[in-house]
Amino acid sequence: MKKYLPIVISLLLVLVVAFVTIWQKNSTVVEKEKVNDIGTFSKQQSCAKHPNFLNKLKIPQPIAIDLSQQQHKGLVFLYGQGLGKAVHLKTWEKFDHFSTYALDPKGNMYLTPMPYISVKENTFEFQKSIYKLDTNSGKLSVWMSLDEVRAGGNNPYGVISLDYDCDDHTLWVSAIDETDYDTNRGVIYHIDVKSKKVLQRIEGVDALTVRLLHSSQGKYLLYGSARQSGLFALKIEDSMLAANSIQLVELSNANEHIRKIKVRANNTLELQTIPFSYSLIAQTSRGEDRKFYGLSWDTSSSSWELSSK
Amino acid sequence: MDKVLSRETKISIVILVFGFLAIGVYWFSGERAGYTLDSERIVLPKDAKEKNESLQEVQEYLEDLKKHKGLLPLENVELDEKAKRVQDFLLKNREFLKDTRNTKGQIEHNDMMSIRPAIVSVLSDRSKSICQKNPCYQAVKYNYVTNTTTRAIVDAEQMQLLELKHFKDMQPDISLRLKKIAQAIALNAPEVKKELGEAPSIKEMSMANVRGSLNNSPCENKEHLCVAPTFSYHDKAEALWAIVDLTDLKLTAAKWAGLGKTATPACISERSLQNREIMENYCQKDTVHEEDGWKLAYRITGSDGLEVVDAIFKGEAVLKSAKIVDWHVAYEGKGSVSEQENVVLAGRQVEFVSEEDKFLFGYNDAMGCPMFSTSVVLPFNAPRVFPLKQEGKKVGFYLLQDYRNPKWPMACNYRYENRFEFYNDGSFRVVGVNIGRGCGEKAIYRPVMRIDMALNNESFYKYSGTWDKWLTEGVDLQSEAKVYAENKYLYKIQGAKQKGYYVEPNRGQFNDGSRGDNARVFVTRFKEDEGDLDLLTLGSCCKLDEDGVERYLETRENIEGQDLVFWYVPKIQNDARAGQEYCWADTVLEDGRLVVKEFPCSVGPKFVPIK
Repeated sequence: MKKYLPIVISLLLVLVVAFVTIWQKNSTVVEKEKVNDIGTFSKQQSCAKHPNFLNKLKIPQPIAIDLSQQQHKGLVFLYGQGLGKAVHLKTWEKFDHFSTYALDPKGNMYLTPMPYISVKENTFEFQKSIYKLDTNSGKLSVWMSLDEVRAGGNNPYGVISLDYDCDDHTLWVSAIDETDYDTNRGVIYHIDVKSKKVLQRIEGVDALTVRLLHSSQGKYLLYGSARQSGLFALKIEDSMLAANSIQLVELSNANEHIRKIKVRANNTLELQTIPFSYSLIAQTSRGEDRKFYGLSWDTSSSSWELSSK
Repeated sequence: MDKVLSRETKISIVILVFGFLAIGVYWFSGERAGYTLDSERIVLPKDAKEKNESLQEVQEYLEDLKKHKGLLPLENVELDEKAKRVQDFLLKNREFLKDTRNTKGQIEHNDMMSIRPAIVSVLSDRSKSICQKNPCYQAVKYNYVTNTTTRAIVDAEQMQLLELKHFKDMQPDISLRLKKIAQAIALNAPEVKKELGEAPSIKEMSMANVRGSLNNSPCENKEHLCVAPTFSYHDKAEALWAIVDLTDLKLTAAKWAGLGKTATPACISERSLQNREIMENYCQKDTVHEEDGWKLAYRITGSDGLEVVDAIFKGEAVLKSAKIVDWHVAYEGKGSVSEQENVVLAGRQVEFVSEEDKFLFGYNDAMGCPMFSTSVVLPFNAPRVFPLKQEGKKVGFYLLQDYRNPKWPMACNYRYENRFEFYNDGSFRVVGVNIGRGCGEKAIYRPVMRIDMALNNESFYKYSGTWDKWLTEGVDLQSEAKVYAENKYLYKIQGAKQKGYYVEPNRGQFNDGSRGDNARVFVTRFKEDEGDLDLLTLGSCCKLDEDGVERYLETRENIEGQDLVFWYVPKIQNDARAGQEYCWADTVLEDGRLVVKEFPCSVGPKFVPIK
């Protein structure tokens, strides 16, 4: 009997380690699901300022920045009664279509590109750059190109979203070009505006939209996933993004992807969703594909409440 | 060593090594990024066009619909005594019946969906005061043609219509009868039966879970009344989540998933199921098919439609690749082009080409995978194989992929079929089918077909009384040909040992109603970057004297005994004249129901083995 002791011990050892491993792994998953409290937050004053050239042109407030590509390609500023008047230059069309923008304290505008409806000769080339609209001259130019971003026929998207960080005058930028059907290879870049240096680069995050948020628990980069229908948060500590995402909410319809995030009121976000599948599916419907949700953090129950609008 | 370690110690080491290895694999195994089908089986109907009119429930429903002239009342089993009287009242009430006919007086299909005591929340203040004294009923009907729900509030005592509200683009909770029809359609779909291994009965089902009222449709066509019943099989710990289109009376998609799934029927849609099934099984990998002496593989490309690759007939290599890379769509306009360069039609950027006193406008339609692609015309259902029959006898098979814009057959939406026919004598045909509808009359369609034969040391010949060999890359207009070998063949491609294929252009002889190809033919030397990989778009939609392939002919390289690529670009003019329709589709009212009339045009050459 004694001679079988090594077999019994080794079996027991394997079983114990297997039990601990399974327990550990499952408890990690549970923990991930539970940790979705990012604290309370409120609508804060942004450092963003409208471009100076609009003042020079004596364009009255309110001014809306329209990237919908419906009336004008590229960029257009709408103003006047019912936002019925437009400021648009033909030169703002030269890089085709834009996806999101962010303004800095001087009124410079940073824009990300977007493939829209048709693929043309330069479409893929345009997707690797961040564009800048100069606050004084209104001149649109390539501000910075990320040469590693390569859009193509199997995924026409590249740089897709950004937000300006008023704390340290940096940009948080997302690109999703490398992602394929099986694997998320999106990248979030943290870029110093003055030096154009990439301060941090996080791989494996496919963010269709990014939005900075200050809460009682610190600073977060919220993002809407291009792959899933969820809203996620990445903690920012000492100007560095944490590696692990916290899922705040998942929409019930897997086809909907969060395209815009806004802080609407205390502890309340507004989410705008679109269908997204890394392809150029044209949205020909009468805006019915675009949906809006309110997402509120309930401090009493420490949970998120999602309501459709 | 053997002397040092006992047998038991060796076994212990093996247990430890393999045990820790397995634990390591478990620890590092993560979830895939998304879209996994591992635990789900998606069921797409084999023939998406087929209605379930053979089902008894559907047959009786359609007969009743005819009998009641388009407005189908609820059956007595669904009504209490008061509700029966309310229904009788409403079926004679002119105001309630007002939207059951269109402006031309044609009947539109309406179903009564429910008649039940009114709930307070739907009543106006005036109605509330009346309904406190008298019993009130709410009746709901649905107009399938206008996708409108109507709700009437009736004082069941005085038989008086208190309120009438119409909800455009809203769909109601369905009647018990429709619920049973939805169940029958889902459970009698051959694909579902096949999954279950036997014909299931409704009695075996748990309660079907249908849509909530006034909700969005899970169908791709949001204007159709669709429901998503769920059938739970607790013994198998799985459920069938089906999507049934009650406007078209057919199953559109279904999935089998574990009962533990958090997804609810409202969260699945026809499009998302199709996308995942198609991406997983046809965009990510090749499918091999063997039949009638043929062995071939096929796949859906990113933007070049369905591609057949590596086709072999009775052991002999025939095709390396065949696909339709683009559909050029052009329309003619009179006058000059103004500031219209940013015009978008049906989600496409329109290109304009000016000529003397007119201009041409249109776009290039790429067909391809529903995700991770640049295509705008997307696969509708998965590729299917059907038998090819002539005079009732099977002569081969064909492979079909349907591509549609979501709103086809509405204006400026398109439907193309990629069809590859394989005959049991070794011949094959590449066919492009256009089923409209497009933006109007005078559309010119040009599908760009790319065929890469696998004959080795290939040479190309054109017939003009004798077979003339082409020595360099070139272009030819089939439409200008005067003579055909054996009155059929205009070109031939021969490989080593003189084996090869004749090319028989379509001049309407294939009994498919075609008006001919009027094709332009290009022969180029194979280069990987000239269409072997996915081509995004090729050339201009609207320069009618250019097809896009010209760019590969600039140096006119020698082609004798080379690997050749045969490009074939038919040119089709559509026709919308009544009785003459061609490349067209229309929607008409028949017995109150919207019926799509298809007028396909088919083009493409046949390749016949040289004997």
